[in-house]
Amino acid sequence: MANGETAEVKSKNILDLFVEGARRGFTIGTTSLMPNVVMAFVIIRILDVTGLLKLIGNVFAPVMALWGLPGEAAMVIIASIMSMGGAVGMAVSLYNADSLTAAQVTMLIPAIYLMGNPVQNVGRCLGIAGVNSKHYFAIIGICVVNALLSIWAMRFILLFL
Amino acid sequence: MKEKEKKSIKVGWQGYLALFAAIILFSGIFSANEGWLKVFDFNTLNGAFGKIQSGAQALDFRGAGGSGARDGFLFSIELIPAIILALGIVNVVDGLGGLRAAQKLMTPILRPLLGIPGICMLATIANMQSTDAAAGMVKELVDEKEITDEERSVNIAYQTSASAFITNYFSSGSAVFSFMLVPIIVPIIVMVIFKIIGANLMRLYLKTVYKNHSQEGTNNG
Repeated sequence: MANGETAEVKSKNILDLFVEGARRGFTIGTTSLMPNVVMAFVIIRILDVTGLLKLIGNVFAPVMALWGLPGEAAMVIIASIMSMGGAVGMAVSLYNADSLTAAQVTMLIPAIYLMGNPVQNVGRCLGIAGVNSKHYFAIIGICVVNALLSIWAMRFILLFL
Repeated sequence: MKEKEKKSIKVGWQGYLALFAAIILFSGIFSANEGWLKVFDFNTLNGAFGKIQSGAQALDFRGAGGSGARDGFLFSIELIPAIILALGIVNVVDGLGGLRAAQKLMTPILRPLLGIPGICMLATIANMQSTDAAAGMVKELVDEKEITDEERSVNIAYQTSASAFITNYFSSGSAVFSFMLVPIIVPIIVMVIFKIIGANLMRLYLKTVYKNHSQEGTNNG
């Protein structure tokens, strides 16, 4: 299968390859990222107008302080459980609202993908591969652990860059 | 089985060149360069939107002080060029064999680090760009009895966390490329390291916690 793929790909030139990828980028951007970002901005708007954002910030402040992040950062982590695009949108929206700094957003980026929306992944990754369902909890737990540890790792890296 | 492995990952010199070019491009090494070398930088190629003078400030088309769905819409329009560019580049790199080259270079390191047979490597390449395709390949390997149920679980623990990280990171992640404080490539390295850590946590779990239950049968998959 793989060899057939390679042969097919080799017949395309670089420009064709670029345009093909670019087209996929446009499709992902408009059909996946845009709705997710709009959703994230609307959620932040609702939370902001109702004053819940401040509340969430205060409630999660002691927990998020472990990672050197403000309480609002919890929104990004919660969003990443459901949607990676939504979580990035959330992070940028909070950055725009001055709730997160550029450094704090940077720290959160790998975590968003390492968490990797387990809501969808149970069907898409675990289900398709036919993983023993007894291991689901462990595998999702690993995603959460990876995500939380990576924030510390990024914080450490930022000390040197 | 070994012959199969060798057959499955074949990389030409273009592959290594493409990988090298991609690493340069996304590492931002030349971002501060004033001369022509600047061309080898993703953010240089991505360029900038024109500015609109408004009073003392120069704003881009999104303006300032927006909120809600409208602001989110305009913001996502700001992001889309970076996604188009990034996925265009990734497709060229992949088409020239760059991702295979990356995997080939990493295989000798990954195999002992993950504790899974080399035959899984094609699935781990697929996992860079697609969650479903890679998971499907793992299932096939189990069905063909090339790997065991436990090896599947370890491989999937690696795959699930940050699945399709190249596609996902270069699409939604592009949103922060312009103000992120580390080179574009750094989060990728961090993700791969934690994917490996995750797989090893799974190995540990299978060896310790799950071992006690192993009599209950491991063939439920």
